[in-house]
Amino acid sequence: MATQAATRVEQNACSIRGLTVVYRVERHEYAAVQDVDLDIPSGEITAVIGESGSGKTTLAMAMLNAVQPPGRIAAGSVVYPTAGDILRLSGKRLRRLRGDSISMVFQTSQNSLNPLKRIGGQAMDLARSHGRDPRGTLREARDLCAKMSLDADRVLTSYQHELSGGMRQRVGIMLALVLQPEVVLLDEPTTALDVLSQSEVLQILRDLQRERRFSAVLITHDMGVVAELADRVAVMYAGRIVERGRTRDVLIRPDHPYTRALIRSIPRLSGDLSEAVPLPGLPPSLTTIPDHGCVFRARCAYRMPICDTVQPPLESVGPDHDSACYLEGFPSD
Amino acid sequence: MIELIDIKKTFQGRTGMLSTADVHALRGVSLSIENGGALALLGESGCGKTTLGRILAGLETYDSGDIVIDGTSLNGAPKGERDRLQRKIQLIHQDPYAALNPVRTIEKSLTAPLKLRAKQSGKDKGWVEQRARELLTIVGLDPDEVLYKYPHNLSGGQRQRVVIARALTVDPTVLVADEAVSMIDVSLRLGILQLLNDLRRRLKIAVVFITHDVAAARYVALDGDICVIYRGEIFEYGRTDDVIHAPVNPYTQSLLSAVPVLVGLERPGPDRFIPLEELVTGRAVSGCLFSDRCPFAVEVCHQDHPDLLPIEELSRLNRCFFPTVRHVTAVSASGEASA
Repeated sequence: MATQAATRVEQNACSIRGLTVVYRVERHEYAAVQDVDLDIPSGEITAVIGESGSGKTTLAMAMLNAVQPPGRIAAGSVVYPTAGDILRLSGKRLRRLRGDSISMVFQTSQNSLNPLKRIGGQAMDLARSHGRDPRGTLREARDLCAKMSLDADRVLTSYQHELSGGMRQRVGIMLALVLQPEVVLLDEPTTALDVLSQSEVLQILRDLQRERRFSAVLITHDMGVVAELADRVAVMYAGRIVERGRTRDVLIRPDHPYTRALIRSIPRLSGDLSEAVPLPGLPPSLTTIPDHGCVFRARCAYRMPICDTVQPPLESVGPDHDSACYLEGFPSD
Repeated sequence: MIELIDIKKTFQGRTGMLSTADVHALRGVSLSIENGGALALLGESGCGKTTLGRILAGLETYDSGDIVIDGTSLNGAPKGERDRLQRKIQLIHQDPYAALNPVRTIEKSLTAPLKLRAKQSGKDKGWVEQRARELLTIVGLDPDEVLYKYPHNLSGGQRQRVVIARALTVDPTVLVADEAVSMIDVSLRLGILQLLNDLRRRLKIAVVFITHDVAAARYVALDGDICVIYRGEIFEYGRTDDVIHAPVNPYTQSLLSAVPVLVGLERPGPDRFIPLEELVTGRAVSGCLFSDRCPFAVEVCHQDHPDLLPIEELSRLNRCFFPTVRHVTAVSASGEASA
């Protein structure tokens, strides 16, 4: 079992290389995602954490080749082992791939469900448009419902407005998993939910992922959700990945000043509250991201002259742990 | 001191073909806020905490009960007096994007209430301008930078600070912050919470913090009280850290269990649990209102309705037949490699 898991980790369910996505604002193009390299290891949950405007949702959209104008994928590749570079696909082959191999759970599932169709009908639609057996798909849908402690008979014959927020989110997860894709993109899957529903949905995702071993990309702004769900995490700031590694390593030994400050700014239930320190300054918006030098330097307590020149590259700071900062050996604080 | 005495509020349902049931938003809530104190109202959406905040700020009527502000009963007071007292209680909304008029500059938004006050108290124009700048400085903004901007030029955190500055124009004694940080970027949230603490300390303004985020509640009300509300009833009420570290009510415990744990930095509480099912508002439940979701419910919970009773040795109010301390709160994993 252990060796099996090890061989799985070596493969990547998706490899992103040099990805740059730009948005056109008043005859000028600004990069929302800049030169991102990221591997999504097979059978694991990789979190992408960042604030609003950090480019995390744009990254997810680029992984589906679904960036809408005025956005444009300017460079890079997003390679899935079975389908190749999704950025080179279009039309029918692209539509096939979405849903078949990659699927997405949206922040507010009520906006992604058809209000005029029963849930079961939507699952059947999905099956037909992807050339699967509708009955088999419905059986799979029932199975998933049962695992998420949903009453399948009731849910599949309901319209979305007849379900509560937490149930709709679970239906969204069910529809994303029903065709058994290799990669699932979870875009803020619990942000719109109440605290108690959030913990339930997290539990469900954890159990399903353990059982089915799909690969997942979790887009979130909440470090708590990352800690509860993700095996590894990539921290995004102003369109760049500034740190990445295994969740535990990043949480216990964060290297990048942004990650460190972000973790320290979370009030916690345990420990001394005076340790919680707010981050100074504001995150840059699309048009104010510095075009040279480190993107975080304006808010950084450890700014050095070299930070004004070039964005530091991601460099190893430990086993399976990279950080983009010129600072070596963090001053103790 | 502000006291709420047995406040009840029911929103009438629709009658006729598309009838809906009445919503019992508050079923008799009594609580008190010390001058300059802090109180966190904790609960899921739909528990009545927002209605309670709006009633406090005078934006919503109540069906029965009374509010007593520094010894004056609002029920008995003439309208002018009531308005004057409730003006001292200001509400900060959840959504700073909707709370400011988009076609007005920050200067206009701030000076409108100030001009009214200047007129009443015979102050001159210079005072209005000076006070607006003063208030922006208090909330941590640079007046020269933001005064002539429109709301869309500001970030969520800055906007929320402007909203707080506007609330301060009437010299309030209480700020009711309704989910005031839930729509703000994570890295900026703590700054707003810190500002609320700062206002308490410097201006002796009491803060009522309405939230579903237990950690934020702890930050704001650390030296105050937490009041856990479920379906319009208080379930547990006590000193903040006592409630968080030794909760006796299963509902409080389920809320605390749901707080994500920063594994590595924290260890989950050993008794952590998830309630049986989701909240279905409007469902008739006999007995204890939480009995349909409570994993510890027994026969009597489904039949009888528990009262909110004091637990002397814990100086706590609790609504459960079987108060039991369970360790559901995450604890620091110090010793296990510190950052």
